[in-house]
Amino acid sequence: MLTGMQRYLHRHRAKWVGFAFILPWILSALWFDLIPFVTNLYLSFTDYSVSTSTPDWLGFENYREILEIDPLFTKSLGNTVYYLVLGVPIRLVVAFAIAVLLNLRIHALGTFRTIFYIPSVVPLVAVSIIFFGMFNARYGIFNQLLILLDLPPVRWLTRPEWIKPAMIIMSTWGFGAQMVIFLAGLQGIPSELYEAAEMDGGSYWHQLFRITIPMVSPVIFFNLIIGIIGGFQVFASAYVLLGPGGGPLNAGLFYVLHIYNNAFSYFRLGYAAALSVVLFLIILFFTVIMVRTSDRWVYYGDT
Amino acid sequence: MARKLTRRSFLKVVGVSATTLAVAACAAPGPTAAPAEGAPSAERVEIEFMNWWGAHREALMDEAIANFHDMNSNVQVNNSVQPWDGRAERAATAVASNNPPALIMTQRVETYQFAHENLILPIDDYVQASGIDPDAIFYAGEINNQRWQGQLYSFPLPTGGGNTGQYFYNKTVLAEAGLDPETPVATWQELTEASRAITQKDDLGITVMGASPGGGPVGFGQWLYCNAGQFVSDDARTIMFDSEQGIETLEWMVDFTNEINGGIDNANEFFAGTSATSADHPYYNEKLGFMFTGVWQFGHLQATDPDMWADTSTWGVGQMPYNGNNADAAHAGVAGLSGSWGYVIPVSTPQDQADAAYQWLEFFGTHEQGGCLFLFNQGRPSPVAQCNENSAYYDDNPYWSVVLQSLASDVSVAVTPVQARINDVVGTVVDEAYFGQHAPADALAKGAEESQRILDEFWAG
Repeated sequence: MLTGMQRYLHRHRAKWVGFAFILPWILSALWFDLIPFVTNLYLSFTDYSVSTSTPDWLGFENYREILEIDPLFTKSLGNTVYYLVLGVPIRLVVAFAIAVLLNLRIHALGTFRTIFYIPSVVPLVAVSIIFFGMFNARYGIFNQLLILLDLPPVRWLTRPEWIKPAMIIMSTWGFGAQMVIFLAGLQGIPSELYEAAEMDGGSYWHQLFRITIPMVSPVIFFNLIIGIIGGFQVFASAYVLLGPGGGPLNAGLFYVLHIYNNAFSYFRLGYAAALSVVLFLIILFFTVIMVRTSDRWVYYGDT
Repeated sequence: MARKLTRRSFLKVVGVSATTLAVAACAAPGPTAAPAEGAPSAERVEIEFMNWWGAHREALMDEAIANFHDMNSNVQVNNSVQPWDGRAERAATAVASNNPPALIMTQRVETYQFAHENLILPIDDYVQASGIDPDAIFYAGEINNQRWQGQLYSFPLPTGGGNTGQYFYNKTVLAEAGLDPETPVATWQELTEASRAITQKDDLGITVMGASPGGGPVGFGQWLYCNAGQFVSDDARTIMFDSEQGIETLEWMVDFTNEINGGIDNANEFFAGTSATSADHPYYNEKLGFMFTGVWQFGHLQATDPDMWADTSTWGVGQMPYNGNNADAAHAGVAGLSGSWGYVIPVSTPQDQADAAYQWLEFFGTHEQGGCLFLFNQGRPSPVAQCNENSAYYDDNPYWSVVLQSLASDVSVAVTPVQARINDVVGTVVDEAYFGQHAPADALAKGAEESQRILDEFWAG
């Protein structure tokens, strides 16, 4: 005879099986995301260092220091915003343009797609070392090109004003992942739309702006959000190219480098936790703004 | 016969597995990780020695450990060489873990940070029980780098983590510029004139460089002490680098760099992509006259350009140039403004392993067949004064007496656990002076104000 609990489980067994399948994800999300997030939030209100003893409660003192005292907070945030405002759109445009080209029916298309995708799977540290050579003022390929064009050479990594443009150039090189997502979106556009446009005499540019871009706007939206989140978290490339200080005059001190320095050079883990909470809030703010405004420019079909 | 897997049995398996995993992940370290404190141990104690002596030094370390094993059969030292990337995070997480390596190689400021947080053991009791006198064994500038608030936390090895008080010069470069290669420069003024004679530029920058004073806190610090200045007061409570000597020092660095090298970006670009361990470094290619670096350069020179190392007529060693216009100034070196390696024992190390760790530390730090041999094989001096009297040093290195003079002049700057923050502040203001954002005096005043705030906050806490 079945007990009440057994009857309940029997009745809802499909639901429990479903839960069982997602249990590994739930456990890892709890263990690797939620618990660290809540712990980080708590630590941001303390003066925690590497000590294993209970950290002292500081209230909002870390946040006050961030907003009122720390000169490198505004410096690193400004550097990061500069990198985002220029870098993310450039990378999006390049990824989209190459995806459009790779969506054409041309010879050896697979080879071209592979060639353009390969840079995005090269480890970032290796890319950084390669670019270190390419940015060399005397021997680097960028300055050789400038000299060929009769333009003055640039000190990419030793002049503060050129450091962020150099970082943006380097980040653009890894557009492959975004390009593949664009390509998938482009291939999902019904060919009837283009045929109808051609019958109506629409030019290539009309088709691009009236069909292609609106139809892939959800993909543009996705890549934009991912690009902004990734841009706020830029770290490894700057660390390898410029060191933890971010180069001369802290010109390449991005926000996460500043967090890293506080955590592992100064062992101010509580303060670093507060900086990371601020970063989370900034990213959340931009994400919410974009999601809220997306219905004005993202086309999800006639719903 | 195969048994059918029902939904119920599947759920049981999933539930049991998940619970087991969760319990296993939360479990405390097993009893083997924490033997009873103070319990006598007849067995051989095994310890992990976490360090960053990689590349050609690993085999030398293994040799020192083998020597230790020959004389100490009760301890097994496992040489755990770590990758350099993420060094600071590895050291911090290892020290704070509840199952740490018994001995961890740390930089001076890290040692102070860990000591301040009570994460590492002072070794004074061990030293007393052993009966050795560290002050009689080590140079004062070296052993004091390992003391925080009157307690000793390690023995130093190698010498001075900062730039010590000697420099290297390339005799071929000097000769080609018409200078006397047998007379190394002694003052800032002589260095300026020699560099002016050596330095050559083209449209893309410097092709041959006399010298670069460098930047950052270490660059500024070493020149400051060669102008009779002081970074911070002896009690580590008052910032002093914005003194008259400090301003004069930074003005000289900026003027030298602008006039001789055409700006700091020009100087930095000259070294971009090279290091003292790469064969394309200008010093090994007769493109750099003077190189201000630490004694580790002897080992790098041996390993990177053995021909140059063997031909001692092509390179020389001098003592750091001082300000010839300042009657109080003299050759000086800064040992451990932020660097200076030591080896610390985490507090959570089980007692028998802590005892064994000290046993190894004392051997490695002081014994002729330990650290002395390890450093001798790299051609670099030991923080143990007596080891440097080995006549074989003089046979290999005709400039050995200069090295010993420079070691004797090294200063252990009084620093605190917040020195890493102060160093970054100083690095920024030195950059600001170099890039013309502030006059040297204003830049140092700004840096001193911020550094003093950090220092006051530390002492108040």
